[in-house]
Amino acid sequence: MVKGDGSTSVTAPNPLREGLRLERIPEPCTMVIIGATGDLTERKLAPALYNLMLGGFLPPEFTVVGFARRDLSDDAFREHLHAAVDEYSRNRPAKPSIWQSFARTVEYHRGEFHDPASFSALAKRLARIDRDRGTAGNRLFYLAVPPALHPEIVRQLGAAGLAATGERRGARRRGWTRVVVEKPFGADLSTARQLTREIREIFDEEQIYRIDHYLGKETVQNLAVFRFGNGLFEPIWNRRYIDSVQITVAETVGIEGRGEFYDQTGALRDIVQNHALQLLAVFAMEPPIEFRASDLRDEKLKVLRAVKPMTRREVAESTVRGQYRAGWVAGEQVRAYRQEPEVAPDSQRETYAALKLAIQSWRWAGVPFYLRTGKAMAARATEIAVQFKQAPLALFERAGTPPMDPNVLAIRIQPDEGILLRFGAKVPGPGLQIRGVNMDFRYGSSFAVDSPDAYETLILDCMIGDASLFTRADEVERAWEILDPILAAWECGEGGALQFYEAGSWGPEAADKLLERDGRTWRHP
Amino acid sequence: MSGPRATRLAVELHRQLMRFGAAETLVAAPWVERGTTVSRVAGHLGDLWSSPGQLGEPLVVEKGLPHARASVLNLIITVPDPAAAERVVATMRGLGFRHPSRVIVLAADRSAEGPPLDAAVTAHCHDGRDGGDQVCYDVVVLTVRGEAAEHLAGFVAPLLIHDLPTHVWWPGDPPFGDPIFDQLVEMSDRVIVDGSDFTDLLLGFRRLSTLRRRSGVGDLAWRRLGWWQELTAQFFDGPRFRRYLPNLNRLVIRYAVAPEDGRPGPASRPDGADVAPGVSSPLAAPILYAGWIASRLTWRRHATSLPLGLDGMRLVLEGLHEMVDLRLEPVVSAVDLPGELVSVRLAARGEMGAAEFIIDRTGEEAAVATNADGMTALLRRVPMEQQTESELLATDLVTDRHDLTYEAALRAAAIFLDAARSSQAN
Repeated sequence: MVKGDGSTSVTAPNPLREGLRLERIPEPCTMVIIGATGDLTERKLAPALYNLMLGGFLPPEFTVVGFARRDLSDDAFREHLHAAVDEYSRNRPAKPSIWQSFARTVEYHRGEFHDPASFSALAKRLARIDRDRGTAGNRLFYLAVPPALHPEIVRQLGAAGLAATGERRGARRRGWTRVVVEKPFGADLSTARQLTREIREIFDEEQIYRIDHYLGKETVQNLAVFRFGNGLFEPIWNRRYIDSVQITVAETVGIEGRGEFYDQTGALRDIVQNHALQLLAVFAMEPPIEFRASDLRDEKLKVLRAVKPMTRREVAESTVRGQYRAGWVAGEQVRAYRQEPEVAPDSQRETYAALKLAIQSWRWAGVPFYLRTGKAMAARATEIAVQFKQAPLALFERAGTPPMDPNVLAIRIQPDEGILLRFGAKVPGPGLQIRGVNMDFRYGSSFAVDSPDAYETLILDCMIGDASLFTRADEVERAWEILDPILAAWECGEGGALQFYEAGSWGPEAADKLLERDGRTWRHP
Repeated sequence: MSGPRATRLAVELHRQLMRFGAAETLVAAPWVERGTTVSRVAGHLGDLWSSPGQLGEPLVVEKGLPHARASVLNLIITVPDPAAAERVVATMRGLGFRHPSRVIVLAADRSAEGPPLDAAVTAHCHDGRDGGDQVCYDVVVLTVRGEAAEHLAGFVAPLLIHDLPTHVWWPGDPPFGDPIFDQLVEMSDRVIVDGSDFTDLLLGFRRLSTLRRRSGVGDLAWRRLGWWQELTAQFFDGPRFRRYLPNLNRLVIRYAVAPEDGRPGPASRPDGADVAPGVSSPLAAPILYAGWIASRLTWRRHATSLPLGLDGMRLVLEGLHEMVDLRLEPVVSAVDLPGELVSVRLAARGEMGAAEFIIDRTGEEAAVATNADGMTALLRRVPMEQQTESELLATDLVTDRHDLTYEAALRAAAIFLDAARSSQAN
């Protein structure tokens, strides 16, 4: 049986594999990290690969080739990765025996990204690795470089004959080829389409794995289990019982020296286009027919299609953009965004965005979805909070007492991953006072195991060929279709003025007003 | 047992168990009461975790951080003697953040005199991972004497955290059929033993495979095979070698035994984290490995040969396409712990001649080799770290279902042992 991307699977499974801890093991393969001396390799990829090795998840033939411009020996590159693991891995420092075993799988390929000779040399090297190490022609190219370089690199891979997969490789050659790309996937709909087109001239959609690391987080995957693995919640997951939904992605950090990048990007492109809309889609989607990549992504796309793009007037009414002034975050003084290096002193770029979105579907019509994200906020918190409708009769309310808090179900994604349900309970003693209390499930205290990092999950899935947790091109494009009108309105000044907020606060006052108008308030997660 | 000797033993046992009160994770002063009652212990446990403002200050000092009591499982551990107590304390302290929510350590002695119940309670916290909240748990040590020891369930049940799964870990040779053991199995979701602690392996395996169905069974001897199983399965993950599986005709498992001259094997694990478990049945892990392969590949017992001596054995089995020669060979070793696997060799007849799949361990490294398709050996070295008892236990604690693969391997292992024993009798 040959799958779309050329991976082969043998019909009879390995009987010794069944019942073992690792039921899914990737086929032998080579992972080529393009841009192997960069930040992403250091902070994420090297630790993820080491931890996969430590857990025994990598096939024995697995090989890593680091490709970059810097002049390094194999050993120097290995040392570079070793230092990265010692600094950033969740299991650190590296265990000497495991490290040695891992280091033996690593090679370094020096080359220029615009030089065809570098890529034909890479092709020869990969053919040699297939022969020597038995990697069976299976290759995963990880583009750990800025997206501006993606089209060039992809073209070079194609020209060197490295992009073909499965049957298309021609006679007697086999194995799959996959390519992993990181966000941002364009800066608006037209650049996203352009980028997709350029990559797809060389690779098929089935070969392209777009990483949104939020989808690799345990809690996000658990959201699907929570909804579809329990009988309790799905019946009330709709407009009859849910009053509104708040999705918060709050960071305490500022722009961390990335002034040039951030001043061209802003919160909407950086967070909402990918992370926040993906959270919304997983939260709101219909149950998929099967829990597999195509069904999941079809269902997510349906949610995004039901979010209607806003008119100019709606942008002015239903969005808030903010920028942080100087202030204090977690006891430390923070300068204003406009005083950051490489940021224009009169920059109009948003570091905060709040949106009120409507999903026009039978399940969600009339339920507002409030999304907000910001830099230099009061606390680091990513969560989805569901506010339920009030009981139909206020049986316990008297004149002069405040109304009861609504029931809230909060799904915390970071930090302290978990799920919290808030409901009213009687305060002990005479009289009938009611106060909100919490039922609190925390990952950290309920499972005596460590969660894998999102990159571990995603790299392993990509090697196995499971694209469930990766974003498809049509999802990316639909997200831009939702955001383009907002960006356009903001840029021409018709989408409401830029609002300022103090660093270390929960965002501009206008964002509070956005909810107050609807008789609601933001949660303080 | 009675008189001064029993008293000395009880004191020593107590001394070992109170090392829980010296752990660096301790967050409240240990609470110890001789001649106490279950309701007083339960009351103290309640006070320990009460919120501020309810019943005065909570006893757990929070180190300035919010704490969350672990909500994972209850673990009941029995300790028959001071050696077991020492082992249990070392293993439990090695669990770190993988610790169960409540541990109840039971030292029960029917023949002892004195008050029916002594108790000691300690509370511990670990820093959460990734800057998360602290996670806390407690340890309750109960010493039950005299007639009371016949009714352990009544002492333990009120002290379990409700709505959490309960596991029972019985270090040493479990007294199958003894009412104390049966009562604990009755209240548990999973029983954890170590097959290599059994004095009568065949009897032990038979009893394990017929335990009441509600309880899952965890076996640390099986857990020790984890890396061996992983490496073995890897040979056949690819289609190229998988076709040899039906044609396997020989399986040779070599395992370490202590020197016969009575010199003891190594006193402790290389990392020093654990105390060496006494090994009564070095054959346990190797025969479970054989049982695993045989049950996965549906090999059947065919004929028996004589044991090889020193507990080793040889059997002929009916494989899928071939007769299989199964050998378990003990290797005298002063460096390996008795019962540890030293090498595994699988041989098959193939279209292009014989094929052989080899795993050879030396210390903490294994050489893995394949001779097949008329090609030279494919050789690689992989790390094979000896796992501490804490790590084995931690792995088992996250399993709360029946392990069907283990149960099938256990049944096959019991059949092999029975075959070897009957051939010995003849």
